[in-house]
Amino acid sequence: MSLLQLSGVSKYFGGVKAVDVVDLVVNQGEIVSVIGPNGAGKTTLFNVVTGFNDPTSGKVTFDGFDITGLQPNQVTRAGIARTFQAVRLFKNMSVIENVMVGQHSRTRAGVFGAIVRPPGTRSEEKKITKRAREMLAFFGDQFPPRFHDELAAGLSYADRRRLEIARAMATEPKLLLLDEPAAGMNPRETEGLTALIARLRDELGLTVVVVEHDMRVVKGVSDRVAALDYGKKIAEGNYEEVSGNEQVIEAYLGKKHEDTRGREQAVAGQTETEGR
Amino acid sequence: MAVATATRRARIEEFDTTPESMMRRAIKAGLIGGGAAVYLCLVGIVPRFDEREVISGLLNLGRTILILTVLATGYLAARPAKVLPGQPEPPAPKAGVGLTAGLVSGAIAGFLTAVLLLLGDAIPMRNVFVAVTDRLLDILAFGQNVWLGALLQILFAAGLALVASGVHLLRPALRSAFLTGLVTVLMASLFSTIIDQILTGTGEYVRLQFLDDTGWLYDGDALTVFGTILLFVVAGALAYSRATRGSLIKRRMEAVPEAQRTTVKLIAFALIAAFLLVLPHIAGRFISDVLGTIGIYILLGLGLNIVVGFAGLLDLGYVAFFAIGAYATAMLTSPSAFTEGPLTFWAALPVVVVITTFCGILIGAPVLRLRGDYLAIVTLGFGEIVRVLVISEWLRPWTGGAQGILSIPDPNIGISLPLIGGPELDTPQELYYVILAFCVLAVFVSYRLQDSRLGRAWVALREDEQVAEAMGISIIKTKLMAFALGAAVGSFGGMFFAAKIGSVFPNSMVLLVSILVLALIVLGGMGSIPGVIVGAIVLVGLPEILREFVEYRLLVYGAVLVAIMILRPEGLFPSARRRRELHEEEIEEAQFEARHGETTGAPVVTAGGSEDVR
Repeated sequence: MSLLQLSGVSKYFGGVKAVDVVDLVVNQGEIVSVIGPNGAGKTTLFNVVTGFNDPTSGKVTFDGFDITGLQPNQVTRAGIARTFQAVRLFKNMSVIENVMVGQHSRTRAGVFGAIVRPPGTRSEEKKITKRAREMLAFFGDQFPPRFHDELAAGLSYADRRRLEIARAMATEPKLLLLDEPAAGMNPRETEGLTALIARLRDELGLTVVVVEHDMRVVKGVSDRVAALDYGKKIAEGNYEEVSGNEQVIEAYLGKKHEDTRGREQAVAGQTETEGR
Repeated sequence: MAVATATRRARIEEFDTTPESMMRRAIKAGLIGGGAAVYLCLVGIVPRFDEREVISGLLNLGRTILILTVLATGYLAARPAKVLPGQPEPPAPKAGVGLTAGLVSGAIAGFLTAVLLLLGDAIPMRNVFVAVTDRLLDILAFGQNVWLGALLQILFAAGLALVASGVHLLRPALRSAFLTGLVTVLMASLFSTIIDQILTGTGEYVRLQFLDDTGWLYDGDALTVFGTILLFVVAGALAYSRATRGSLIKRRMEAVPEAQRTTVKLIAFALIAAFLLVLPHIAGRFISDVLGTIGIYILLGLGLNIVVGFAGLLDLGYVAFFAIGAYATAMLTSPSAFTEGPLTFWAALPVVVVITTFCGILIGAPVLRLRGDYLAIVTLGFGEIVRVLVISEWLRPWTGGAQGILSIPDPNIGISLPLIGGPELDTPQELYYVILAFCVLAVFVSYRLQDSRLGRAWVALREDEQVAEAMGISIIKTKLMAFALGAAVGSFGGMFFAAKIGSVFPNSMVLLVSILVLALIVLGGMGSIPGVIVGAIVLVGLPEILREFVEYRLLVYGAVLVAIMILRPEGLFPSARRRRELHEEEIEEAQFEARHGETTGAPVVTAGGSEDVR
């Protein structure tokens, strides 16, 4: 069953065709990777889905509803959460507060609730804290309770990335969009991330779309891979199919290789350096 | 990281303690201190306060200001290096070096004032600098002839600065005792009128003779010699005990078992409440009046704090809500306004709140998409629009144009307030209680809002608007909520202003109000609720109480703001969040150091995971 469906989605910035008539289907419970060289339109695709950019044309359907042109907060409410390419935490909020903010769209207390604090609001606040602790507990010993009140700005880089994922999870999404989650991580951390993405689906039943440069992650998690170049989808299929695709290799390396044995490694090597 | 390293190196150099760099700093301090002293003479502060005594028969305020300038010079010149987080403690300078630095800086400062004295004697400076009178020259020359005076000036300054630099040689506890004693004496003298009044008032209230008659402490405005010594010794001793054995309150508090701490806190709270309730009785009419004004600004500050401190929307036109609140009150309650049957204050109150809240949304709506500087400029415009509207011919039938609206009734008419004990609410003392009640309410509301789902949404919005939106926060709703609530809380300020003065005029609704309210928030600490109260007391209360300095009000005002922003950029009473924000750099620096194994002094905050830390 398709959860997210993009039909003929385009986004032009003036003459630049950032996303050019892309069709993409993401099924319930799938992990799909979107790859492509820098400037291929991957992040713009995410922005179109999450409402940060309105598509120039085309239609985005999520869970049976047309979400084209909705505001980002409405998209989140509908059940799509995302992380950002450059980590964008609320730096001056504590670890747990960051995750608590994620609960915003699933709770309702307003001005009256804030000031009078009726029983309903109290139990809602308790629920928010409890859920936030659960989300952090999902990361095992990465966020032990004694760090919950530390400032997000004090975290290590990899922890910031993880916290961003925890915050996105707190919006209780059906679909999670991760924008280069492995960027800036060392090999061991990348390995942990790969396992985490698999757990997101297996344990929480989330559907995940990953934009990623690091081919180890792509290979490790993807059910399906879609490759973009100059805003167009140039290939789609499982990892082997896409990484062996002539057009994909050309997009990354710029010219055709006669020797086919080294291709996969060449693609992986090239993109790893790009990811830095 | 290169930038961080460069900054760190610059800071280390600044706190270098080699004799050469100490001398360089001494010369710099002397020039700055001397310059400041000359400036204070030229603007006329020194001769102006020649008559105002600090210690009866011994010392006048003009001389005191000069002495303090020189003392500060010597103290700063010999200041030892600060220990930076994550840095090893630099070797302490030798005693001789520090003292010499103080001596040199004092001599330089004294030299500059001596030059002023000689110049003032030699050429007629009065045409340009009206303050350079014979009186000033006489003060500078210690009543001697100019050459001897100039020499005395240098010796005197050098000696004082030497003493001040010697303070660094004292043990920290003694140093703190000395400085606290000095500051206490100074404060007791500056605030003599209000302290005298409160002591006398308390004396009458509890019938204690020695409080009622303060002759032992004050002689007119000045402290008696006995009072000076007593205050210095008592304050010094308290500071000494605090420095050596820790705060008495803290120790007592720690001795109390965990379970009973809440009770102790409640008792402390009740004592503060009781003090606030009896305050107008012991403080008299004038201070109650000042307290009322402070209360009005606390209300305005808390309102703007929601917009600026919580939600991070820089609103420079906050005076608009003050004006709307005040004018709406006036139009609804004054018999001279257009209304047929004027309402009472209390009947008008909910109407005014609704009107102002609505205006908050009205003004907030068009600026939703604006950020930072653009928002500031547009709101600045809105503030002016409201002022221009109330003064305009067009609205004259309702607002009274430049004449304003007169005879606004006090809050008492029609309703007697049983809680406050008596139907008559016509003196400042009684208005104080009403304002106090609303301040308490506003503080409560602010705390509740801060610690709520909405409060978190505001902080998120302040931090990163786009990400906040991606978290499901509706920017439009959340921002409008901030504007509306800010306007509602601020409207109380306007209402009480109208009721307190009894009239409203367009020229009370000037940009300066917006700036003052913003300044008190920044001074207290952005987003901090106690900070707003402290800020209002400092920026609104002090100028009212220190009326004798009224000519130099803006000068002192500017100096105080600059000094506080340099010394405590997070404000006087910062919220925990804000304090952390401003020390973020230090945290990161400490982390950097720890990773590179240079030093291991500072604890490293990390939630694990990163290889090189583990």
